[in-house]
Amino acid sequence: MHVHDDPDVEAADLAVRLRAGDQEALAEMYRRWSTLVHTIALRSLGTREDAEDVTQQVFVAAWRGRHTVQPDLGSPAAWLVGITKHRVADVRTERYRSHRNMQAVASEVATSPVTVDDSNWAERLLLVHELERMGDPRATVLRMAFVEDRTHEDIAQTLDLPLGTVKSHVRRGLIALRDRMKEVERVSSH
Amino acid sequence: MSHPTEDELVDLAVGDGTVSPSVSASVSAHVDGCDTCAATVAELRHTAALVAAAPPSVTWQAPTDAVWGRITDHLSTEELDADGLDADGLDADELDADEPTSDDLPPAAPARREPATPHTDDELERRRAGRHERDRGGRGRRLSVGWGAGLAAASLAIGLLAGRAIWQPDTPVQPVAQVALSTLDTKQDEGKAAVVRSADGLDLTVATSKPLDAGDGYLEVWLLNSDGKRMVSVGVLAPGDKASFPISQTLIDEGYVIVDISREKFDGSPAHSGDSLLRGKLPA
Repeated sequence: MHVHDDPDVEAADLAVRLRAGDQEALAEMYRRWSTLVHTIALRSLGTREDAEDVTQQVFVAAWRGRHTVQPDLGSPAAWLVGITKHRVADVRTERYRSHRNMQAVASEVATSPVTVDDSNWAERLLLVHELERMGDPRATVLRMAFVEDRTHEDIAQTLDLPLGTVKSHVRRGLIALRDRMKEVERVSSH
Repeated sequence: MSHPTEDELVDLAVGDGTVSPSVSASVSAHVDGCDTCAATVAELRHTAALVAAAPPSVTWQAPTDAVWGRITDHLSTEELDADGLDADGLDADELDADEPTSDDLPPAAPARREPATPHTDDELERRRAGRHERDRGGRGRRLSVGWGAGLAAASLAIGLLAGRAIWQPDTPVQPVAQVALSTLDTKQDEGKAAVVRSADGLDLTVATSKPLDAGDGYLEVWLLNSDGKRMVSVGVLAPGDKASFPISQTLIDEGYVIVDISREKFDGSPAHSGDSLLRGKLPA
């Protein structure tokens, strides 16, 4: 039987195919993650026009930079989000420059930087996406442990799960999410 | 001491205080003197803090349908036509599909140039066979490979433009609507735009009677709303005088019926520059 319990196995396969130059893999990645990419860009930049522009740039960049995806890291979602974060930063820099130029022209006074919205939309929305995808009980266990700050014992009793299972979900889940965050950082800081 | 396991680091970073004090103390002592493990603990705590701050649910917002078309259009015009996509995953037939060559001219027209010089008799034979198959079977096979639906639609329209079939009365694909594009100041007729139905929806095709001057920037095609307030970018017009962009029926229905070609600078601004070269309003 070739049934994948872990959606990451299939997602990692997409990364392999993309690296090999399979155009259909890019189309599939767009179907799966363009909404994630677009929502991050929209929250970060505020306008639909910029958000769609960034979405377009991200997938064009994904194709051109397909040799930089790392299939051994599992799902390429974090890789796409890293590219998104980078592009969003580019748009912000550009906005800051034009704002500064405008102010310089207007007042010829060196100006304070415009407020930069650094609310980590890329990481936060990727996390929500990953939690949604992770499914239960792991996502619920993580939320109970970190959002509600409950003890593992308490979570085990509430969900009627063995304590060891709860601990395992907390550890595996958090490590997996940490790996995603590192990947975003790796890609976006290039 | 060897490094603690990742599990032990998780317990230290975000544990609920139930790990035995002796284990906790030895892990903690190691981390104090080990930069690598200290970094891991910091990452795990940062991630846990992000989970704690994550909104319970998010209203996901998908991009409009036009975006995928713009992506494939971008890749096809810049990479397939210019220097070809990387050899991996593409064979000669697929390249032909995206390049307006003699293959796309009507059968009666003389072939003007070969897509490439065949190197061997075998290859020549294979190309001939491929062409025959195409002449009989139409474009179905080619469109099933290569780029996704957006590009398939785009290459079909580019093929039609290359064959100039689109402006001929016996064209198999009738434009849904078409309009002359003229300069804003002197009202000179310098191009045409048409909405054509493709296998996957609608395409906006644009052709100019002579290449437009992009100056030191580039040319962008827009659909302006007849309310005079809204506009959408449908894509970048690559150097040359013809292009095709996938659009949606919704756009037309919502009143985005004025085709506009503008000259844009490489200034990072996605907004219309205000420098329109040609414009025309599609009939309802």
